[in-house]
Amino acid sequence: MIDSVPLLADSAIGAMGDMVLQTDEGLLPEGLNVSFKLVPSIIVIGMMLLFIVAGFMFKVADTDDMWVAGRSIGNIENGMAIGANWMSAATYLGVAATVAISGVYGLAYVIGWTTGYFILLIFMAAQMRRFGKYTAPDFVGDRFNSDTARALAAITTFLIGFVYALGQARGMGLVGMYILGDWSAVTGGALTAYQTMMVVFMVITVGYLSLSGMLGATKNMVLQYVILISAFLIGLVVTGWSAGYTTILPQLEYGMMIESLGTEFSAPFAGGSYYLWIATCFSLVFGTCGLPHVLVRFYTVKNERVARWSCTWGLFFISLLYLSAPAFAAIGTALYGDQIGAVYGDPGMTSAAGDVLVVLAAQLAELPAWFVGFVAAGGIAAAVATTAGLFIAASSAISHDIYATIINEDATQRQQVLVGRLSIILIGALTIVFALDPQQPIAALVGFAFSLAAIVLFPMFFLGLWWENTNRPGALAGMTTGIIVWFIPMLNEGNFGLIEGGLGIEAIATWMPAIGSALVGTPIVFAVTIAVSLVTSEPPLRTKQMVRQCHSPDPMPKDMTAADVVAEKNGNRPETPADD
Amino acid sequence: MANEPHTADEIRTDGGLSDVEREEQIDYMDVEINLLKPATPFMRDHLRVIWIGFAIWALTTFAPITMTRLAPDVMTSQIPMIGFPLHYFLLAIVGPGAALVLSVWYARKRDQIDEKYGIEQSVVDPETTDSVSDDAAATDGGISE
Repeated sequence: MIDSVPLLADSAIGAMGDMVLQTDEGLLPEGLNVSFKLVPSIIVIGMMLLFIVAGFMFKVADTDDMWVAGRSIGNIENGMAIGANWMSAATYLGVAATVAISGVYGLAYVIGWTTGYFILLIFMAAQMRRFGKYTAPDFVGDRFNSDTARALAAITTFLIGFVYALGQARGMGLVGMYILGDWSAVTGGALTAYQTMMVVFMVITVGYLSLSGMLGATKNMVLQYVILISAFLIGLVVTGWSAGYTTILPQLEYGMMIESLGTEFSAPFAGGSYYLWIATCFSLVFGTCGLPHVLVRFYTVKNERVARWSCTWGLFFISLLYLSAPAFAAIGTALYGDQIGAVYGDPGMTSAAGDVLVVLAAQLAELPAWFVGFVAAGGIAAAVATTAGLFIAASSAISHDIYATIINEDATQRQQVLVGRLSIILIGALTIVFALDPQQPIAALVGFAFSLAAIVLFPMFFLGLWWENTNRPGALAGMTTGIIVWFIPMLNEGNFGLIEGGLGIEAIATWMPAIGSALVGTPIVFAVTIAVSLVTSEPPLRTKQMVRQCHSPDPMPKDMTAADVVAEKNGNRPETPADD
Repeated sequence: MANEPHTADEIRTDGGLSDVEREEQIDYMDVEINLLKPATPFMRDHLRVIWIGFAIWALTTFAPITMTRLAPDVMTSQIPMIGFPLHYFLLAIVGPGAALVLSVWYARKRDQIDEKYGIEQSVVDPETTDSVSDDAAATDGGISE
């Protein structure tokens, strides 16, 4: 019987033994040359400066620009932004790490994080564009006519941003150490090398983001995509080439290496059971369709056709990296096995080493420091871009959906932007505090956020768009159930130290692992929402018409929402008179 | 396209109206949105594409790992020439690749449906400052090709 406890959790705990995680040893990747490196530092600092300059150039002061970039973004540009937004440290660093450590189980991430875009494309992208609001909680609040639903969605969005960002912060800290070395002395030893770097990079990210908002972020994301994809692909080809494993197409050539990498690399179910694989993949696919920072990218485009094609372009840009990550894992595993020690077994590769495997591989292939620094810079670009998208989504949830819509309806744009900035700083601070002691590898941390999105938000989006009879009580019951359901495995496994050591209930750990809890949770939420909607009264006609409008093929003006169209057709003025 | 040959059941009851003509008489404010029972010709065409795509997606995403569970020996055999074990190849390369191909297929299909029903996405940008002639502004269909 294959052990069904999530392997990631296992390997993290197993590899570190009884070590206290705060100590440097726990998060110091073995084999990584931690020291100050001049040229890589210049590359990374230059890159961060470039982001800030781009942020300044596209600095914004009104809410339309802050949140949806004036709905002016085109196909390929939006596709790249989708790619950069998407490809976080979890993709750049985490996927290769998981494939290397967990073998075939890691491929659930490769498939889940790419194929989810197809589901998003066919069921949601264009309809979301037609709905045309600012944020994901906006959709929930307006569709279900409920400020409580809006608040629940906003809280979920905030929670997703926070959990997701933890993984990014961990990535920035680990890679930052390679480039800038051990700065812990600056803090008088209060923080470790990892912690210091994590704080430095998070502060920079928050700084630039609170200046620029979404427009700057979109322009920056294109830049970040170009940096990260070229760093990854060039890094892969050069590393494979100079280590003598592959030539010009490592994405296919690594097939020849698989035999030699040990059975753990390719044996099915060595790193996780069949059930765990399916559950993880399911969570990642439907989490993709429920992630607020992904959906908001479809609000930023001109029309539905652009929404569809930019989604397709986005998947193309994403696939470039995902088809390469397993190759990087294979090369990294081979190099690690040759030069440092056995990858599998005891002690094996730690999760910290796995999480920097992409950088480590380039270093072990004895490439020049500037080149390794370039690869590392890509990882930082990935982490910064995604953190930006997440924080924007989280801060708009606070400032737009909670503050401007519920707390202070007369809020001026100035006040909203101010609250938006303050909430970015708040979530940044929270992330820093919790990322000081991350207990899970990057991909696992991010996986929790996907489970949450798949359980709580995806059913609301899907039913909201495709079943006009979904109503307010249904949505409220569904979301409340979802949030509770998501916490069960989190508590059970003791993630984030919610309960020290967790509850450890065997059946829950087996059938509802936190990383794949959506396989059980999403159908439950669907069932609850549908059942409650059926036994309570139907939603008002105006709401139904709004849903119908989302599916009408008639083109609609780019500055109108489905609600405006409905109001106009019914001969009313839009119920929220334009205040700008 | 309007002069596409009609299938038997399309000509049956609608008094000779084509899909496109029927679609023009429909106000979306009055039709129920139902994933399983499309109410309009456009929705029917669109949902057919969605469901076909979804079915293929479900296969390419979940079938390889399931087959590996059921027939591990066959699935882990090495592919000649490229060296991949079969399951690894299907999971790491075919799965993501299939989603990409399906996306392109869907987006093109959807464009074709739009074309069939004469739907044109507006590209007019009122705030545009450039002086390039704006195709969408030609309301008389006088776009030179």
